[in-house]
Amino acid sequence: MEARTTEVPVRQAPQRRLPDLGGRSESVVARLLIAPGQILMFFLVAFPAAVAIYIGFTEWTPTSGKDWYQAYHYWHWFSGYWEALSSGSVWHSIWLTALITIVAVGVEFALGFLLALLFLKEFRGRGLLTLFFLLPMMVVPAVSGFIFFMLFQVDGPVNQGLTAIVGHNVVIHWLDDPSLAKWSVMTVDIWQWTPLMFLILLSGLVALPEDQMNQARILGASFWHQLRYLIVPMLKPIIVIALIIRGIETFKLFDSAFLLTGGGPGDATSTVSVYLYRQVIINARWGYASAVAIIILILVSAAGAFAVRPIEQAQEETFEELVGTEGAHVDGPRLEEAIEAEATV
Amino acid sequence: MATAPVAVDAGRAGSADRLSLLGRLRPGGRWLAILLIGGTFGFPLYWTVTMAFKPEDEWNPPGKVFWWPHTWTVSNFTDILGIRGATSVFFTGRSQSALTPVEHSLIAAGFGTLLALIVGIFAAYGIARFRAGGRVLPFQILQLRMFPPIAIIIPLLFMWVYLSLYDTLAGLVILYGAVTFPFVVWLLRSFFQEVPREISEAAIVDGCTHWGAFFKAVLPQVRGGLAATALFVFILNWSDFLIALVMTQDHAQTAPVYLQALQSGASGQEYGKQAALAMILIMPPAIFGLAIQRYLVRGLTFGAIKR
Repeated sequence: MEARTTEVPVRQAPQRRLPDLGGRSESVVARLLIAPGQILMFFLVAFPAAVAIYIGFTEWTPTSGKDWYQAYHYWHWFSGYWEALSSGSVWHSIWLTALITIVAVGVEFALGFLLALLFLKEFRGRGLLTLFFLLPMMVVPAVSGFIFFMLFQVDGPVNQGLTAIVGHNVVIHWLDDPSLAKWSVMTVDIWQWTPLMFLILLSGLVALPEDQMNQARILGASFWHQLRYLIVPMLKPIIVIALIIRGIETFKLFDSAFLLTGGGPGDATSTVSVYLYRQVIINARWGYASAVAIIILILVSAAGAFAVRPIEQAQEETFEELVGTEGAHVDGPRLEEAIEAEATV
Repeated sequence: MATAPVAVDAGRAGSADRLSLLGRLRPGGRWLAILLIGGTFGFPLYWTVTMAFKPEDEWNPPGKVFWWPHTWTVSNFTDILGIRGATSVFFTGRSQSALTPVEHSLIAAGFGTLLALIVGIFAAYGIARFRAGGRVLPFQILQLRMFPPIAIIIPLLFMWVYLSLYDTLAGLVILYGAVTFPFVVWLLRSFFQEVPREISEAAIVDGCTHWGAFFKAVLPQVRGGLAATALFVFILNWSDFLIALVMTQDHAQTAPVYLQALQSGASGQEYGKQAALAMILIMPPAIFGLAIQRYLVRGLTFGAIKR
């Protein structure tokens, strides 16, 4: 014992461990620190997962008169899963959500990037205008659904405005036309979240090394070549993270869509979340909904395995490391590339 | 418009300003683009705010549109909050004014934030300082955010009904705390990582326990970050709709759910009153959000982009 106590601090010194003065070793402290969080996580992940798997094998509904733990009375193995996988409406909701995600995030990125480029140069009122552009992001998503519900009424301001511009009466059924409604849903998401893209990309652009940009410009690189050979490659980590995060969030879309269209007309805007909500609350098919939820969780986890890595990596890095302005690895080649490309024009 | 000439000067200044990326774009073009995009993005908010002050006959008259309130009124606010006693006829079968749901929102979001903070502070410090949980816990927390919340809420609904937490504010507070706890971890972890290790080490050498070092030396260093995290998480909880929609009915209904109930109600659309409620809902996050503008990106990107 004597020998060990003298040995420990010496051996651990290089790892920057400290002699324990609190009466507890560090690993115990660490475990105590995260214990409440882990309990919460268990309660939020393990328990619901177990219950959902169990209920998913049954055809239990709350109206059956039995409590949920007695759901085994309605056991039917994989019938719920089979029904979900062979039902057009589940796949419809998945494809619809994927489409909304891709289009909305794409437009958000394009608009956000354009705005960020417009805001890069200092001008009077820039700070105030930036704040102005952030406002939609702050709106409660359910409220933004309501706002566009007002705007998209058949005799609402959007149609009236178009009427005033076009000159004859415009009647567009933004929310009642099944083929149009999903675009209206996307519009809300684009309105609300383009500001986030803008903010992320602006912070990236501002951090780019100024002298390199100036050099490129002085050497005659055009705007497009600066964009292609310098800006986009350097911002790539940030762009990837922004796209992933917006993709994740948009795939979960519920609030604004629910207030805008309620998933309708029919199931024209019933995203994955809206579909699940309808199964649980409106149809009270809890067993079936659990099966669908499990399928969605598996799909999302599979996609998530790829999506998590860049975010995790970035969490460990400082902003400068992320943009690459700290390392020396953005020096020559890209700049030369840009200038060469310019010369060949 | 008066600022346009200034922008021209800034454009000509050339080398002094930042990279002139859109160098080809004349300052006038820049302003035109900004005004166009800004007008489009600003209009929905403009419409809502003005709608909240319009009298009933200007809300949505058939074939006519009031681009601004011709008569200003605050009766929408007094009606929806029940100040003038007009609420009993406002919505059939729902004698309640919006005041109670707004209170519920405040309580649930406030205490939910507190719960998330208390649990999250320790977890964040454990992960940042001791690498507790290794790589697994941060990964789990991150992946959890990818699941559509409704998929997780379905099984919790059974449990909530079973535990009599369904349709109670306490039940809502626990859920809010659990759902926003990951954000506290990410945000605070990034703040803790910015505190030099030497600070806590010095405190321990000076005779503090681990806990003492944490409370006396480290925590004061992240005071600003803690405040930003609290406001950020409050915004998230305040903005929740889905959890409250599924988990409450009458006794713990929050304001966004109330807004939805009004919208799907049988009494027809009462845009002005709903817009007034919408404005009340927008205010706190807008104020808090602008206050912590610097940390919004950090929070919404799970601490990945620290700007």
